[in-house]
Amino acid sequence: MEYVSPEGLRIDGRRPMEMRKLHAEMGVVAKADGSAVFVMGNTKVIAAVYGPREVQNRSQQMSDQALVRCEYSMANFSTGDRMRKGKGDRRSTEISLVVRQTMEACILTHLMPRSQIDIYVQVLQADGGTRCACINAATLALADAAIPMRDLVTSCSAGYLNSTPLLDLNYVEDSAGGPDVTVGILPKMDKVTLLQMDSKLPIDTFDNVMQLAIEGCKAVATYIREVLLENTKQLEYHRGV
Amino acid sequence: MTGLSVGEKLFIQGGIAQDLRTDGRKRLTYRPIYVETGVIPQANGSARVRLGGTDVIASVKAEIGRPSPMQPDKGKVAIYVSCSPTAAPMFEGRGDEELSAELSIALQRCLLGGKSGAGAGIDLSSLVVVEGKVCWDLYIDGLVVSSDGNLLDALGAAVKAALSNTGIPRVQVAADTTGEDQPEVDISDEEFLQFDTSNLPVIVTLTKVGRHYIVDATSEEESQMSSAVSISINRRGHTCGLSKRGGAGLDPSVILDMISVAKHVSEQLMNKLDSEISAAEAIEDDS
Repeated sequence: MEYVSPEGLRIDGRRPMEMRKLHAEMGVVAKADGSAVFVMGNTKVIAAVYGPREVQNRSQQMSDQALVRCEYSMANFSTGDRMRKGKGDRRSTEISLVVRQTMEACILTHLMPRSQIDIYVQVLQADGGTRCACINAATLALADAAIPMRDLVTSCSAGYLNSTPLLDLNYVEDSAGGPDVTVGILPKMDKVTLLQMDSKLPIDTFDNVMQLAIEGCKAVATYIREVLLENTKQLEYHRGV
Repeated sequence: MTGLSVGEKLFIQGGIAQDLRTDGRKRLTYRPIYVETGVIPQANGSARVRLGGTDVIASVKAEIGRPSPMQPDKGKVAIYVSCSPTAAPMFEGRGDEELSAELSIALQRCLLGGKSGAGAGIDLSSLVVVEGKVCWDLYIDGLVVSSDGNLLDALGAAVKAALSNTGIPRVQVAADTTGEDQPEVDISDEEFLQFDTSNLPVIVTLTKVGRHYIVDATSEEESQMSSAVSISINRRGHTCGLSKRGGAGLDPSVILDMISVAKHVSEQLMNKLDSEISAAEAIEDDS
């Protein structure tokens, strides 16, 4: 199948190095300490953060740092074909772990010993790149909950189809069987905290694809920073400063 | 919900007794209700309903299926509700199963009528394509995104809004349908039939706190309830289903009284909801 037309357009009309439309909102779940919704094209994810609070399971308490937990779940209606799957299948468990490790790397856990931070991500619509959207949503939710972090973590994926590196794959491109490189970075510190790839890729092409994904992450970071700034302005306005 | 202090409990109970609740409402006033339709593009119909801090999404997916041999002239509808852990950490893992099942069953009871499908709020016979052979299976999924009490009413409203947003594709059936085997169907992806939701009931939950009962309780108020009765009432004022939750017993005369109050409240809710749904659909059409 042709994923990039001779004119250089992808199936959904984007250019190879173009991202899908981003949209983010903070404070969408009233009862949570922090929450955000993050939309990348047709992928839509809600993240909610509870904590820092008392550790629920005493045996997991750590005296020198906070416990970070994460749960990923998909709504029944999130995929094209309706699914009836219970929580806790292997894929969800793996993504929960990925998100938890990525977020744990940027939270200043040593400032909150003996406490627990819960991150819940809920996929409302899945159209490729759910784990990137989850990480981006979780970053915003953590910021909304005013949890100290080293830096924002942002994530974006890139692939390689029809000998062209493609940024931010959608579901059709993701299931085409080509390589899918998911990268998470700390944009200010310029460090990679998450890197996953399936399928094989020559090493010099991999470098290009990874660079493209990193550029994507930086673009996401710019957008997230705008959203944060706008949100802070709103808070300031409501306080009457 | 974390515990309330004795003072807070008394404040809530006292407020309800004096017909002035903690958020300034009267006993029989709903919180403002916001409806948004078409929120899930992959579904045949969807809606998001917000009621104060409560936020639910309902989606409707239609699939071609076979009617059950017992009711060859009726389509099938299944309702599932799940509670996202974003709403409360207690829904993590399998923690939501009990509440999800309770809400699913209560919604089925209120919207689908008895086992035979009689008295259903949804007109099941309109879902049949070829009698005994082909029908539409509707899967209605509810998702609780944020929870601040009165989930059942919000879910009921979301299902109603999602169904009125639902377009069911027009189906062409191949001419020779006399044989035993399944006829071939051709599903149009351009023409849609609007679903008739005028008879769909709304659900009104009356929560009894102390000697009085209130509508649209917040989760703080629900923590003080002795029992709650959910009544589904359609436009004509008929009771379509009823379920009682909570431990304490109720006097039969109180239940009858509650039903008549619910009937009165449901009229206002129905009108408010209908205008919100049409406003939401107008916005969706514009964009």
